[in-house]
Amino acid sequence: MTVFRKPASVKGALLALLLPAGIGLMALAWLVHGLLLDRMAREFVESRLQDEVAFLEHQIRDSDGKLDTLQTGDYFQDVFHHAFAIYSPSRTIISPESWEPLLMPLVETGRDGTLRVHGSGTADAPSDILAYRQSFRVGDTPIVVIVSEDLGALKRSQAELHAWTAIVSVLLILLLVAVIWFGITLSMRPVATLKGALKRLQDGEISRIDVQAPEEFRPLVQQLNQLLDSLDQRLERSRDALANLSHSVKTPIAAVRQILEDESRPLDNDLRHQMAVRLDDIDKQLESEMRRSQFAGPQVGKSAYPLKQARDLLWMLGRLYPDKSFELSTSLPEESRWPVEEHDLNEILGNLLDNAGKWSTKCVELTLKQDDGVIEVVVTDDGPGVEESEMVNLGQRGLRLDQQMPGHGLGLAIVEDIVTRYSGKTRFSAGPNGGLQIVVRL
Amino acid sequence: MRLLLVEDDRLLADGLSGQLEKAGFSVDTTYTAREALILGEQEDYRVAVLDLGLPDGNGLDVLRKWRMNRVSCPVLILTARGDWQDKVNGLKAGADDYLAKPFQTEELIARLNAIVRRSEGRVHSTVKAGRFELDENRQSLKLDDGPEHTLTGTEFRLLRCLMSRPGHVFSKEQLMEQLYNLNESPSDNVIEAYIRRLRKLVGTDTISTRRGQGYLFNDGV
Repeated sequence: MTVFRKPASVKGALLALLLPAGIGLMALAWLVHGLLLDRMAREFVESRLQDEVAFLEHQIRDSDGKLDTLQTGDYFQDVFHHAFAIYSPSRTIISPESWEPLLMPLVETGRDGTLRVHGSGTADAPSDILAYRQSFRVGDTPIVVIVSEDLGALKRSQAELHAWTAIVSVLLILLLVAVIWFGITLSMRPVATLKGALKRLQDGEISRIDVQAPEEFRPLVQQLNQLLDSLDQRLERSRDALANLSHSVKTPIAAVRQILEDESRPLDNDLRHQMAVRLDDIDKQLESEMRRSQFAGPQVGKSAYPLKQARDLLWMLGRLYPDKSFELSTSLPEESRWPVEEHDLNEILGNLLDNAGKWSTKCVELTLKQDDGVIEVVVTDDGPGVEESEMVNLGQRGLRLDQQMPGHGLGLAIVEDIVTRYSGKTRFSAGPNGGLQIVVRL
Repeated sequence: MRLLLVEDDRLLADGLSGQLEKAGFSVDTTYTAREALILGEQEDYRVAVLDLGLPDGNGLDVLRKWRMNRVSCPVLILTARGDWQDKVNGLKAGADDYLAKPFQTEELIARLNAIVRRSEGRVHSTVKAGRFELDENRQSLKLDDGPEHTLTGTEFRLLRCLMSRPGHVFSKEQLMEQLYNLNESPSDNVIEAYIRRLRKLVGTDTISTRRGQGYLFNDGV
């Protein structure tokens, strides 16, 4: 079972990330605030106690250690907010008196400095106090002064402050959520319009996405529109092709049917021949349309391994023409890829090699090269070659320079078609041994 | 000359068998892959015509099974798809030639005669050296039970030369004689490039270099 489900929407993802982070950080700030508050209050109280002890000491020294002469009463009540104890062998003053059980043990400990006493258990006295003890001598009289503060009261007010901080924190978190939500919604608004545009596209209300997309989405929209363009083109092309095909195929079919249905007419050799010609027409049309529809042309995300395909074809033609040698010459690395659709490359290589194989006397050589992104396929044979004057006619559909050789006269025309589709060039020239050399550059 | 015709379109099969009989073949016709498998293995045909799209199976599978069971008669495949990849696959499966439908009967007969002539006197000849087996008819290299590698003409001749005498050092000049090249003056680099390619197929240690002398095939590796 997965505890965390990956949020499906950008909004969800942002919220899922930002909200816990915000809450966590706020909680941490609150904790740190508590600790600092605690420490600051403690230090402040300590220094206050120290000051007051110093004040009392000063007073006692002024009065030469005679505690009785110390002005007590109203003055002390006014100046002193804290409980205190002054001890001398002759007299002990503790104010307020209810604190006596707490402060007396401190007088007797004999340790100076900041002291802390927990839970005395007395009803009137507080349970948690902080005290500052100082012992000194005035003349020969040892005197101990203790000033103490009720920590409980301090903690209560601290807790109140801390609680308020928590409330403010929660309010801030709510505000943060609101701001995040608002920010996300605002920045996702173009996406929403994009979504709307896609919906309208699907419903057929619009044919292209024309919304002003944010910069991050612009390539996406562009790619989508290009895809739509190419889909439209393809649909149009295949419709045209099918219409043409149907038009040119139906007529011969009608003619053949006519002959077959006419029972009164004997099926003589001339008629048989006529029917065969009509059927040949249908086949030729089908063949050329099939090939045309199979060429993919340059496409995004399509590539081929030229070496593997070339080796397979060379091997196959070597089997079909066993007394001829089909050779490959290339310095391309074994795994190199070409941005040509696999079937298209097969058609180019297959037709060129098959043609060369037909004409060669002993050897056909295929050279594959790639320079600066330009792909070059060179097929050379050692056959009789082609007259200079005939070169221009090569690659024309249905043209067979030698009518004795079997074939449709389509091979080189197909290569020309594909090469044009890739905006490439085909060049025919005489090979080094008098054969034909065909160079295809893509 | 006995011929097995495997074609599921009865009109085409009947017409063809009549014309093939006229051309001097004695024809057995079957319409299914199952029957073709049995007939091919039981009878001794001189040549077979095999359609690829059969109602109960693929013709290529029939061909592969025949070849696996050492049925060695030449086979011409008929296919409606004139795709180059289909042709390559057909020949890799063990066919000797292909013909795309529709075809003229004269062309079929001419092709049949050609593959029969080619297969005459042909025996299952292989060159073995160590773990490697070179099939001379198919111009391919097989590793024990591994995949079959197809070779181009010169690759095959070089490997055949090296494998014919394992352990013998062949000089570059000797190997150069195996080379077919349209270039007038083949350089040493060409041999080196071919050796590199062959080493990729058989392993670097299988073909060792003797500096200044040439190359040798290690059948022990």
